[in-house]
Amino acid sequence: MAKETITRQEYRVVGKAVTRIDAAGKVTGKTVYADDMHLPRLLHAKLVMAPYAHARIKSIDSAKARRLPGVEAVVTAADLPPHRKNPSNRREVLLAEDEVLFYGQPVAAVLASDPHVAEEARDLVRVEYEELPPVVDPVAAMAEDSPLARSPVSEVDRTEEKGHIATGVEQREEQGKPSNIASEMSFKRGDLEEGFAGADAVVEGTWWSGMVHQSYIEPHVTIADYDATGELSIWTSTQAPFYIRDEVSEILEIPETKVRVTATEVGGGFGGKIFLYETLVAALAMVVRRPVKLTMSRKEDILAATPAPQAVVELKTGMKADGTLTALQARLIYDSGAFPGAPMLPGCLIIGGYYKCANLGIQGYEVLTNKVSVGALRAPGAHNATFAIESAVDMMARKLGLDPLEVRLKNAVEKGDPLPSGQPYPAIGLKECLQAISETAVWNERRDSRKHPNRPDGHPPARGVGLAVGGWLGGLQPASATVGLNGDGTINVIVGAADITGTNTSFAQIAAEELNVPMSMVNVTTGDTKTAPYAGMSAGSKTTFTVGRAVKLAADEARRQILEIAGHRLETAPDDLEMKDGVVRIKGSTDKTLTFGRIGHMSTGFAARYAPVVGTGTITARRQAPGFTVQIAEVEVDPDTGEVTLLRYAIAQDAGFAINPLSVEGQMQGGASQGLGIALSEEMVYDDKGRLLNPNFLDYRLPTTRDLPPIEAIIVEVPSEDGPYGARIVGEPSIVAGAAVIANAVADAAGVRVYDAPITPERVLRAMGKIKE
Amino acid sequence: MRPFEYFAPTSLQEAIDVLRQRGDGGRPLAGGTDLVVQMKEGVLRFPYPEYVVSLRRLPELKGMDFSEATGLRLGAGATFAEVAESPVVRERYPIIAEGASIVGSVQTMNMATVGGNLCNAAPSADIAPPLLACEATARIAGPSGQRTVPLDEFFVGPGETVLRPGELLVEVLVPPPPPRTGGAYRRHTPRKQMDIAVVGVAALVTLGPSTSSGQADGGAFQRVRLALGAVAPTPVRARNAEARLEGRPASDEAIAGAAAIAHDEAKPISDVRGSAAFRRHLVGVMTERLLKEAVARARR
Repeated sequence: MAKETITRQEYRVVGKAVTRIDAAGKVTGKTVYADDMHLPRLLHAKLVMAPYAHARIKSIDSAKARRLPGVEAVVTAADLPPHRKNPSNRREVLLAEDEVLFYGQPVAAVLASDPHVAEEARDLVRVEYEELPPVVDPVAAMAEDSPLARSPVSEVDRTEEKGHIATGVEQREEQGKPSNIASEMSFKRGDLEEGFAGADAVVEGTWWSGMVHQSYIEPHVTIADYDATGELSIWTSTQAPFYIRDEVSEILEIPETKVRVTATEVGGGFGGKIFLYETLVAALAMVVRRPVKLTMSRKEDILAATPAPQAVVELKTGMKADGTLTALQARLIYDSGAFPGAPMLPGCLIIGGYYKCANLGIQGYEVLTNKVSVGALRAPGAHNATFAIESAVDMMARKLGLDPLEVRLKNAVEKGDPLPSGQPYPAIGLKECLQAISETAVWNERRDSRKHPNRPDGHPPARGVGLAVGGWLGGLQPASATVGLNGDGTINVIVGAADITGTNTSFAQIAAEELNVPMSMVNVTTGDTKTAPYAGMSAGSKTTFTVGRAVKLAADEARRQILEIAGHRLETAPDDLEMKDGVVRIKGSTDKTLTFGRIGHMSTGFAARYAPVVGTGTITARRQAPGFTVQIAEVEVDPDTGEVTLLRYAIAQDAGFAINPLSVEGQMQGGASQGLGIALSEEMVYDDKGRLLNPNFLDYRLPTTRDLPPIEAIIVEVPSEDGPYGARIVGEPSIVAGAAVIANAVADAAGVRVYDAPITPERVLRAMGKIKE
Repeated sequence: MRPFEYFAPTSLQEAIDVLRQRGDGGRPLAGGTDLVVQMKEGVLRFPYPEYVVSLRRLPELKGMDFSEATGLRLGAGATFAEVAESPVVRERYPIIAEGASIVGSVQTMNMATVGGNLCNAAPSADIAPPLLACEATARIAGPSGQRTVPLDEFFVGPGETVLRPGELLVEVLVPPPPPRTGGAYRRHTPRKQMDIAVVGVAALVTLGPSTSSGQADGGAFQRVRLALGAVAPTPVRARNAEARLEGRPASDEAIAGAAAIAHDEAKPISDVRGSAAFRRHLVGVMTERLLKEAVARARR
């Protein structure tokens, strides 16, 4: 039911569902990941991790560990090579030096030729700590008399955050009296008092969403080698090779010419594979002058990577009897963990970014606590804010007796409407997504949902349907690509962007489309930072949107060069030529032809007449292509156990133009699944001493195949102004709506509102008043 | 994982000899789904094993058999997959099949064994409540010979059993089910698979003969066995709730009353998998549901 705004017949390759070019390697297990790699004289690193959330290191005794046969070195902060040290930037605190700031923070590294020996030696390192009061709860941490989680913060580096979302808004860093509030910001529009005075229904609540992990299958793995000539090579599972090069170069004071970062195949990133211990591993390699590999175990990864924050969102909204949203007042508190960098700003934009509203007041706080510091997770910060606003919209609709879908359609933002920052939206497809959901079976059969017969075991059923909006603005970063013609007439595309979602397949489609050849003639390679044309990080859903444009330009340039050579050879103007399947011919002629192979040979061979065909495409992206999604669920709630069973689920998402609909559907279903994990079962649980209680995949519960129903994916296409063929961001929006969808469906089914996510059976029972203690 | 010595004996006697000769610091290894994970993660209730004795080649521990006279013998080395797929277990002891069929993943069930699950002695062990409800006994072999212990006395605390150093669990014996007996096991887990019981409830009931007064649902509770998982330091019987039902008519009211008693009888703790109050609530709800299901099966 995709909206036909583009005639697909215009295109030959793009817009068609194709199998990913890397699929065979993945499904046969042949793909090489960082941990599969080995180098001569390689040492394995194991990290000594702090057993306290907040402590002072009094002494480190590594004598016993060093004596274990096979151990090459035990490295502490004091042993590291000189490097830039900003204590408020986690990437520059390679090992804890004096103060431990979170449970699991690396304190020392043990290096051995055998990983098991390294692990054994790790347990022999004796660290003496003096415990300090841990700051765990972000709301309590905001109180004036709260103990401080750490030394006051200065000079916050927000480069990574900006890779995900381009905002044009600056945050105020806290000045003056030391506090746990790392930064705060606010947006204002109109007059709140007037807005609430004009409302017929006002809804107020506090929504809490827990800390969650990206849960990529492959934990972080990095290998670094620093050779005798001072060249640093890093192989790492990352979404952001150039960003790592830039940062490592700056922190270790090595010129970028001497740093080669190779992004190995990423076994899942979701925003969590931007930058972690690459600088540490490089520094370790510099200490021992041997290659060093760090492979995180699942437990270590959950303890000490960069998960996504918990957030407390206080929200008050007002609506007129006709469904007009009149006022929106919000206070968002993001728990940043021990270092600044929480996605509070995107949360503030999102909470006021779905609906037209004349009167807004939004305040955001980023608060430091003694927990592992947070990073990006697929639309960072958006799901926390969405849980609140999309619950509130349902509650207002219910109060006023209005249809929840109609209310959303009435207020939904359109092109030109302002974000809370004042910035106007470009072309967007929120209304079109709502329309698409209104045509689904699960929506149209919602009234029958309550009337179904009892389940076979005779327990009272409670079924209901809920929906919610999700959106994401997307990141912006320059990109470049080259498209070259090989001697045999095949096409080589080289990019600098790590392929984490099938983007290289889409690039092959784009190059094939522009050169009118089958995809099988095109190869796409992601180069390393010394060889590849620059690309921003593969984050912020922007890879196809930005690098795809560069590939398209590069392919067009290669096409122009091919036609020029052919025109010269065939003694005709390039305009009179056409190309198809690797053959150039004079329009309408069948004998005046020239194959790509011939042209390739004539531009690469000995004493060749023509210069090689190499098209370069470079772009900068200044305008976003925000992506919206609307999702709907039918659930069954067991009123005695609180269990929520998903019966049906559908997602509509605006992709602008789906270059590979198969990939787009996969992104929609995968993101929706992650959103449902956040909604129903995923939560990192800390005790009151700041210790993580569930650093494993048993008690940190991702949904399994049996927990999720088939997810119906409906691609909506409202073209973006700038993306290739009208494509817009795709990867992130799908994760955003889950918790609100489920909360609304549970409210419809069981008549109770759950304000805490994940919406566990225990929380449902408490909302129903069935557990009181 | 740190180095350890590995033994793979081929008979029960050889295994017992290895354990006796090597002494303290060893651990028997069955399917490895608990032990290997615990060793890798370094979360052990006992010192890191210096040596490990694989039980996978011991013929005495393998398989299962059934006779109407003596009931069911489950070898300690029987895997959950074998138990869950066994036609006789499914037909005569559905309560046990239900406990065996939900442990971990398919891969877990292909490796994990009945004996391993019992000897790991987690309060949440899924095979324990069904076997407790069936009043199974454990046959144990060790350096000083063999002995038999009612399963009810087998568990001592979390991770602790009555097994003495060098002793191995050989098999579990389950009496034949009397006529008009029905049983069922369910657990609550946050996920639908790959999970561990937050609460497990096993109910086994034997009904008396139907009254001739035409009551289709006739019959009183002749014998009731209720066992709970994950609500006490060990899997436990809910004896007060059992006593409440025995001799009473098998009515919904009686069942509701027993469920309330089980609710009060459970002694759960709060942990990352659920609060004590939540677990207690579930004991009530699930005991009521499971008793009804057991009665329905007994009447079939």
